[in-house]
Amino acid sequence: MLRRTFLMLTTSLAIAGAASQANAACSPDYTGVTLTVASQTGPYIASALKLGADEWAKKTCGKVNVVEFPWSELYPKIATSLTASDATFDLVSFAPAWLPDFVPYLSEMPKEMQSGKDWDDIEPAYRERLMVWEGKIYSQSMDGDVHTYTYRTDLFSDPKEKDAFKAKYGYDLAPPKTWKQYLDIAEFFQRPDKGLWGTAEAFRRGGQQFWFFFSHAAAYANNPNYPGAMFFDPETMDAQINNPGWVKGLEEYIRASKLGPPNALNFSFGEVNAAVAGGQVAESIGWGDTGVIAADPKQSKISGKVGSAMLPGSDEIWNAKTKKWDKFPSVIPGPFMAFGGWQIAVPKAGKNQKAAWDFVKTLTSPDVSGQAAITGGSGVNPYRKSHTANLQLWSKIFSPEEAKEYLGAQSDSINAKNVALDMRLPGYFSYTEVVEIELGKALAGQTTPQAALDAIAKEWNRLTDEFGRAKQLAAYRAAMGLPPKN
Amino acid sequence: MMRNDPIKHVFIWPAVLVVLAISIFPLIYSLTTSFLSYRLIPPIPPRVVWLGNYATLLQEPRFWSALFTTTLIAFIAVGLQYAIGFGVALALNARVPGERLFRVALLLPMLLAPVAVALVARMIFNPTMGPLNQFLAKFGLVNLPFLTNGHWALACIIAVEVWQWTPFIILMMLAGLQTLPEDVYEAAELENASAWQQFWGITFPMMLPISAAVVFIRLIESYKIMDTVFVMTGGGPGVDTETLTLFAYQEGFKKFNLGYTSALSFLFLIAITIIGVTYLALLRPHLEKRR
Repeated sequence: MLRRTFLMLTTSLAIAGAASQANAACSPDYTGVTLTVASQTGPYIASALKLGADEWAKKTCGKVNVVEFPWSELYPKIATSLTASDATFDLVSFAPAWLPDFVPYLSEMPKEMQSGKDWDDIEPAYRERLMVWEGKIYSQSMDGDVHTYTYRTDLFSDPKEKDAFKAKYGYDLAPPKTWKQYLDIAEFFQRPDKGLWGTAEAFRRGGQQFWFFFSHAAAYANNPNYPGAMFFDPETMDAQINNPGWVKGLEEYIRASKLGPPNALNFSFGEVNAAVAGGQVAESIGWGDTGVIAADPKQSKISGKVGSAMLPGSDEIWNAKTKKWDKFPSVIPGPFMAFGGWQIAVPKAGKNQKAAWDFVKTLTSPDVSGQAAITGGSGVNPYRKSHTANLQLWSKIFSPEEAKEYLGAQSDSINAKNVALDMRLPGYFSYTEVVEIELGKALAGQTTPQAALDAIAKEWNRLTDEFGRAKQLAAYRAAMGLPPKN
Repeated sequence: MMRNDPIKHVFIWPAVLVVLAISIFPLIYSLTTSFLSYRLIPPIPPRVVWLGNYATLLQEPRFWSALFTTTLIAFIAVGLQYAIGFGVALALNARVPGERLFRVALLLPMLLAPVAVALVARMIFNPTMGPLNQFLAKFGLVNLPFLTNGHWALACIIAVEVWQWTPFIILMMLAGLQTLPEDVYEAAELENASAWQQFWGITFPMMLPISAAVVFIRLIESYKIMDTVFVMTGGGPGVDTETLTLFAYQEGFKKFNLGYTSALSFLFLIAITIIGVTYLALLRPHLEKRR
């Protein structure tokens, strides 16, 4: 009997010892905790969340369940859950533009996460601007998003192409400095009989289309002499989207649609990447994913031939205050932080808020996020200084020259003096829906660019009045990094 | 004879309450909401606007465009479904060889989820890589703008609707055909009536009640088309293929404009009711002749 008791005791002690050893490996210990994250359908972003989830599970013994929704469904799903104050999601991943709508339902980031080496490593454009709302931090960037330019180096360095281009247009074939040059290049390489087209951009309603249009317009509407006036006049909140700068941007966007593959009007960003990686187009604009996917030999036919640059710009920019074109001595590059990069936040109604913020910390750590950034199709683009500084990290997918151009384009764009921030406003979808509809009409030739933009401006002004002009003005100024208006 | 036993209330009232809770109450709530200016995002306190939402909608070209598009899709698609479905049902009823195989194979499209069908259709209609383009290229028709031109896109949506829902008509019409009495046809044969005369004189009139019901069901269902359009075109280009349900979805679940969406739903209900009543009124004389 005594022997049996002794045996049981030793076994129990051994089990308890093993358990405590296992728990010691979980730091902090979130054994039994399962976090649910709302994400757009993978691989973009969802795969990055899963990568972070695996790392977090190893570290804390907790689990993360990534629930995926199609892009067009994500906003309504999150908004419905937040406004109902239910605890469906412990974390939500979303576009910065939606932050103003979600802020009332989100918890603030713990103060201890808002300092230290990892915190300072986040590029200021995100840390000080896109992650901030009315002076507080409710979300963490988990992706950096700025539109850049991608081109095929094999075509651009071909002596025959270079000579022919110079003979036709009178200047050297090189990454474009202006949008006119961009369209010249697209026109030059438009060779449907050889399966090669000029450019690829998103034009499909509901397919991230309007960000591509905004990128064109940013060069002519984001005036450094009157900051923050790209979308609305920051003094009156009058819509600016029908001013001559925007009209020029739309005219060029429509022209680009005619210099792409035949189905370009049905392109969303996924199709843009496929066209670039498939070697169908000579150049393209879009998020950093394009370059990463095009460089990946498993996904691309043009691996090793991928060049990158900042978006083209202009030496003439419309001034919304003086209502005149301002002439600049040289071309000012017009990078646009389209979308602004995915963010992740913790709803107030969440039951595991401490664990959720700990997951955010792991997910966005330099190591885990760096790994995601170099994984083609993860949807994660550089947003930390360490992402663009570490050339070694990128040597896995890029040649040294490709890496230098890619990282240079990313870093120069987000740190550019005249980088344009995306619109962030309460009722964001109400504002962008009419843009999508009118763009569709203008692209289909059913209306003129001016008439399309006039219709958008009219609706934007109506919405601003409906939502409260003073409230919207305050939000817009906050989003553009301008001080509150007295 | 009515019984005055109070026990009947025990059985009736729970059912009445259930109906009230799951059907009438949401309808009344929705109707009430339609008289409000009520947005969830950005949160705006509800304000009574009475018929304001209805008036705005009736002056909104997008509403009329969506109504026209929906009507166009519904009528053309259902017309084609009925013509093809009835034809196939007649063939199957004639006991052609391999009839069972045809019957199963022809019913398969109806069993698929509309979203899956729309996704496959989107691939098929891809103007550069789709199999349809490859086929048409053999006849010199390359890169047709299937989903990027308004007229083409509508035609593609109608084609998908016809492909998916014709089996329903086949199923119903075949069931109807199999109940027709044989002796009428035997008598017609004795009178040397041709196949065409038999169809117009016997089959079509006798199938009229079931035809009326089947077309009515399909018409109502077609007015609710959403997923196919959502996946194939997103309502574009512009609003060329936007249907009423997609319009309501955009207003309700993208813009969270609840008052406006409720009003839109009720206008949709009114439109469908008018169409349904007109349809039945037009058919009534023909149906009454059959009694």
